[in-house]
Amino acid sequence: MALEEDLWLCRAGRGVSDAQPDGFAFVPEGTWPMVSIGRPDRRRDRADVIGQSAAVPVSATPGQDAGWMFRTADVTKVYPNGVRANDSISLHVAPGEVYGLLGPNGAGKTTLVKQVIGLLRPTSGRITLGRYDLVADPAAARQLCSYLPQAPVPIDSFGAREAIVLCGRIRGGDPVLVARRADALIEALDLGQWRNKRGISLSGGVKRLVGFAMVAVCPGRVVILDEPTNDVDPLRRRLLWQQVRELGDLGIAVLLVTHNVLEAEKAVDRLAIIDNGRLLAEGTPSSMKAGDRGQLRLQVMLVPGGADPELPGFVKRSTRAGHHLMAVVDDAEASHAIGWAQDLVGTGVAEEYALTATSLEDAYLELTGHGSSDGGEQG
Amino acid sequence: MALIATPAARPAGPGSPAADSRLRYWLHGYRWMFAWDLADLRLTLPVLASILTLQGAGFVLGIGLLYRHIPQAAAAFVVTGIPVLNLITAGLIFEPQIVAGQRTAGSYEFLQSMPVPRSMAAIAWYTVALITALPAVVLTLVSGVLRYHLHLDITPAIVPAILAVSFTGVLMGYAIAHAITTPMIAQLVSTALIFVLFGFSPVMFPARQLPLWLAQVNQWLPFGSMATIMHSALGISEASGTGRAYLVAAAWAIGSGLVAAWAVGRRR
Repeated sequence: MALEEDLWLCRAGRGVSDAQPDGFAFVPEGTWPMVSIGRPDRRRDRADVIGQSAAVPVSATPGQDAGWMFRTADVTKVYPNGVRANDSISLHVAPGEVYGLLGPNGAGKTTLVKQVIGLLRPTSGRITLGRYDLVADPAAARQLCSYLPQAPVPIDSFGAREAIVLCGRIRGGDPVLVARRADALIEALDLGQWRNKRGISLSGGVKRLVGFAMVAVCPGRVVILDEPTNDVDPLRRRLLWQQVRELGDLGIAVLLVTHNVLEAEKAVDRLAIIDNGRLLAEGTPSSMKAGDRGQLRLQVMLVPGGADPELPGFVKRSTRAGHHLMAVVDDAEASHAIGWAQDLVGTGVAEEYALTATSLEDAYLELTGHGSSDGGEQG
Repeated sequence: MALIATPAARPAGPGSPAADSRLRYWLHGYRWMFAWDLADLRLTLPVLASILTLQGAGFVLGIGLLYRHIPQAAAAFVVTGIPVLNLITAGLIFEPQIVAGQRTAGSYEFLQSMPVPRSMAAIAWYTVALITALPAVVLTLVSGVLRYHLHLDITPAIVPAILAVSFTGVLMGYAIAHAITTPMIAQLVSTALIFVLFGFSPVMFPARQLPLWLAQVNQWLPFGSMATIMHSALGISEASGTGRAYLVAAAWAIGSGLVAAWAVGRRR
């Protein structure tokens, strides 16, 4: 069977490299991992890993992993109650790419990824991974894609390491490699103190990290992460993002669902902004911000309970999120903006202010007209 | 910084041993879903097994408290019917409750996204349910034999009888658990079926003691047939129509299996 030849096993032996600092490197045979696709600046790193393995498929066909491109084509999902959760969404994610799906709550992000993993069926449109039609073959989708849902993983009865290893074994991973990979992930995510703790005694954030490790221990060609940093502390968030990046470095296409724009900006190669089921914009974080070049963001923390200040004419646009007033101004108006903000502080209308470069969040706000729920967070 | 390499899923490619057959894929899925279920239920399985044992032994001993004297034939009928309750309860009650809990906690979709054949996940659960119920079956029979000084004629047919009764119960529970998406309703339906089983099915009493119409209805319901299968395997002379009972149970198993297959494969 073609699928069995193409996936589900993470096979033993091949690719174990004693030369690796952490004692192993899995380099499966055939065309995986790939040396030709993904982020060009990382290709050499990957090639270095491959070069240290005796089992390296150095004859891997250049560009062959382009055949593992993930695509959605005009995916539309209308629920039986008439809600159009996705409206003709087309995008693609290359192997090695971390692709963000950004949008406010209810935008249709989770609906889209549930169609990828075969939990929902699109009303129309196609979802493909390489030569596989994931809509027509949901069993293949489950084998080719790994999925961390938004809800907690069911590991109350499991030790943390046990759950990670078991997931790797379920995906067909070799026992030795899975064990090593599990230990490496536990160390990389700083989970050592909870290694053998039962899930029922873990905090939500730690459980989230264990869930990520369960998905990453033996990942499919596409890894879908739905709000992976929920409840995770700032320190370990950084570790988690590092591991997300490393999944990409290994040639895996990562589909990252989040509404945390500030974090996503640092983590993704490209992103799509979705709202009301429609893809509003797509591109790199830099290209998304291109429209804001020459502009600055003035963030003013207003005194709770106070009246909204009247906006001066040089404010191009503004958004209010709680006590935060965010205004975009031309950089030529910086001195006027500072003066206005200082007046607000001086008259007791505001507590403090900050003038910074515009971020992806500003582009996001302009496109969606929503504040991200973590908008005030700088993490 | 060194990359943490990963045992990633991969294409086998020409010339590789990718020729892992579908059978091997199924067996792999069965093995590891069985391991997952055992680990997942390690805290509750002993409790579930204890509940089933208390259920069986409680009925056996409780009947003896109701009546000063119970004829041997009646006692044997009751004692050999109660294992049906043990076997069915594991599948019919526990699975809907477990799945309802998964749906409520939001973890149902994670489990449904696992890369294993869903048929194998079902069979893995069947194995777990069988293992959970077997000690209760044995202890129920032992306590009945000791309490009422019975001499059961246990035939080799006990093996297929236990397997068939448990299989049918598990598939019925599986169908309810996965087809009814509202956790509370799924739990209520399975609980209602248990009451039907206890009160209106000829499991611990002969069908002739039911009103004629109810006895006729029960000819097409699974519980009476399961009891017939079990009674027959344990040498109860009143058991007749064992072949038909297997057919009825098989029909319910197939029907439940089809519903379950539709439910777990359904994509809204």
